Amino acid sequence: MTQSPTLSRRSAQSDSPLPRKSRQRGADARAGYTFLLPWLLGFIALTVGPMISSLYLSFTNYNLFEPPKWIGLDNYTTLFQDERFLQSVGVTVSYVVFGTPLKLAAALAVAMLLNSKRRGQGFYRSAFYAPSLIGASVSIAIVWKAMFGDAGPVDQGLSIFGINLGGWVGNPAMTMPMFILLTVWQFGAPMVIFLAGLKQIPADLYEAASMDGAGPVRKFFNITWPMLSPVIFFNLLMETIHAFQIFNSAYIISNGEGGPAGSTLFYTLYLYLRGFSDFRMGYASAMAWLLLIVVGILTLIIFRTSKSWVHYSGDTK
Amino acid sequence: MINRRNFLTTVAIGSASAAALAACGQPAPSQTGSADNPVTINYTWWGNDDRAERTRKAIALFEEKNKDIKVNGNFTDFPGYWQKRATEAAGGGLPDVMQWDLSYLRDYGQRNQLLDLSTVKIDTSAFDKSLLPSGQIRGKTYGIPTSTNAFAVYYDPAKLASLGIAEPDGSWTYKEFNTFLAEVGAKGNGALFGSTDYTSVWWMFNIWLRQNNIEAFTEDGKLGFGKDDLKKWWNLTADLRGTPALVSEERVTQLAPKSPFGSNATATEVTWDNYMAGYLADSGAKALKVVPVPSDDPDNLGLFLKPSMLMVASAKTKNKDAAARFIDFMVNDPEVGQIFKTSRGVPASKTQRDGTTFEGADKLVVDYEKSIEQYLKDAPEPPIVGFGTLEASFKRVASDLNYGKLTIDGAADAWFKEAEDLIKQNA
Repeated sequence: MTQSPTLSRRSAQSDSPLPRKSRQRGADARAGYTFLLPWLLGFIALTVGPMISSLYLSFTNYNLFEPPKWIGLDNYTTLFQDERFLQSVGVTVSYVVFGTPLKLAAALAVAMLLNSKRRGQGFYRSAFYAPSLIGASVSIAIVWKAMFGDAGPVDQGLSIFGINLGGWVGNPAMTMPMFILLTVWQFGAPMVIFLAGLKQIPADLYEAASMDGAGPVRKFFNITWPMLSPVIFFNLLMETIHAFQIFNSAYIISNGEGGPAGSTLFYTLYLYLRGFSDFRMGYASAMAWLLLIVVGILTLIIFRTSKSWVHYSGDTK
Repeated sequence: MINRRNFLTTVAIGSASAAALAACGQPAPSQTGSADNPVTINYTWWGNDDRAERTRKAIALFEEKNKDIKVNGNFTDFPGYWQKRATEAAGGGLPDVMQWDLSYLRDYGQRNQLLDLSTVKIDTSAFDKSLLPSGQIRGKTYGIPTSTNAFAVYYDPAKLASLGIAEPDGSWTYKEFNTFLAEVGAKGNGALFGSTDYTSVWWMFNIWLRQNNIEAFTEDGKLGFGKDDLKKWWNLTADLRGTPALVSEERVTQLAPKSPFGSNATATEVTWDNYMAGYLADSGAKALKVVPVPSDDPDNLGLFLKPSMLMVASAKTKNKDAAARFIDFMVNDPEVGQIFKTSRGVPASKTQRDGTTFEGADKLVVDYEKSIEQYLKDAPEPPIVGFGTLEASFKRVASDLNYGKLTIDGAADAWFKEAEDLIKQNA
């Protein structure tokens, strides 16, 4: 083939004692890049390209039909005078702030329960994991809407105990608790990761602590928490990023409108409405980039703080 | 000798250049089909299963009569419909023929996405002359109305009888209408409310403006009314909000996407008259009736016939003639009228209307439109660019008002801010 002459010429010129090895390495690299190529092409065409064009569009006024008009930073500055935008930020932040820690707490608690050996363990693990597999689906959002609707099972169940909240779906004060419950219920994915982390903690640490007379609370804070901290860190990061991206359930439960009274106007939902209902793609792109920047900054902050509470084995601290 | 690789390269280059040559040839003339080799056109509409079934029948009939054309049908619900069209338009791939709504005609027509239908052969001789302008923008015809609808007050006679309330005759002022709603609410005892807040419906506001001889939009695409008009409008039901006369916004949200009237939560509803079939199916009521909307001026009801739907074609369609023949068939053919009855509205073309037999609920709708004939004014022109957004935000702001999140003044400010921003954006 055409490649072999080049190679032999190069090896002939080289006096180094490692021609064979580097030749081998070059071939490996070529093979590697060849196998990478389909993914790389997809990445450039479907991710990098659209990102660049969306960055460009965020500085324009673009209605999908006519060529984009350059307007500089206008989209970014008008964002902060847009009451609905500010509302969507508020809704999303409260969802992230309350939903994520609760979800992680539930995941950790259940993981610890499932960590001990008992009969039917496999069943329980699958049963708790299942909701997070189907949780983001459209059908679950529909079921959730029906459950929390007027005269739905939740309303009727609560009224047995004399609590009459009515349907949650139409009550602006109750929609956020409903969405937080929905996300907490989908704790399966972080739970599985916690479970794997718990398995890594050597049992003799707990045995030694018991010998020294430590109770379960002491054991949790002095052994489980520090030993598990890299896993907690990972889960916190992933779930925070994930929570910012909530869309499907919000779209379905609020009929794509973000109601009642804007109480479910999540950031991504408003972004979508701006782009595809109001034909303001430039504005929507600006929102998307702002979200990217904010999530990036948050990630950085979490990384920074992690130094003080995340412990890796081998740390001398 | 040709080895395998050379052969493949030759084939690849050959077919690529053939495609390229074909692409740079003269602008493709409208393709024509034959019975053996029919052309295919795409048709899309919004609606529910009932409309899908009727449309399927109409398409089958069309294909039977036009062996050289195949129609590929496809439908979604109303909100998803417009998001899909927006994406397709951006990619230059709108379906050949589409069911259309007046709210979005300007958005697409003015931006050269729709075919000027006066350049193709569609028979409009059987249409009422006052109706056709609603499909026209700046002298070009972008849409042909399939049917008409008019605003009306629906009520359920059985529910009124059970409350001991006399049936209304439809000649009422806003004050009388409010009193009526309050009475239903009082006697309904928490189980049945008067109606949904009618001031949250854009088109009812539009009718009220016409009753007061105010235009909703000016010719240069601006608002024709002021903040005070809007405040006055929302004040009409100020005393009723929070009382059993109007169903609470909480219930309205819970019941969506069904309407409170269709869910038997209210005794009346103010909306388009072609919802009859849908309401009957939703509520399970034996019979529903329609009467005219309230007005403080008995000679000016502000009513008009609106094209309930239009048929449009994509500006980029390769099958202009086939598309035109399909549109012509859907709006004029009497058998299509028999299939749809009044579920699209009352057929707009006289040929189709006369060829359709209306019975029961369908007859009530047709009779209603006849009964208001003397009050009808010209249909409004296609509303301004971005009207779909304005209408949605009207509904949303009114809903915030009903939730008590906004005062009437605050709601008017909020809506005007959005409207002015939108008009500036599209200027």
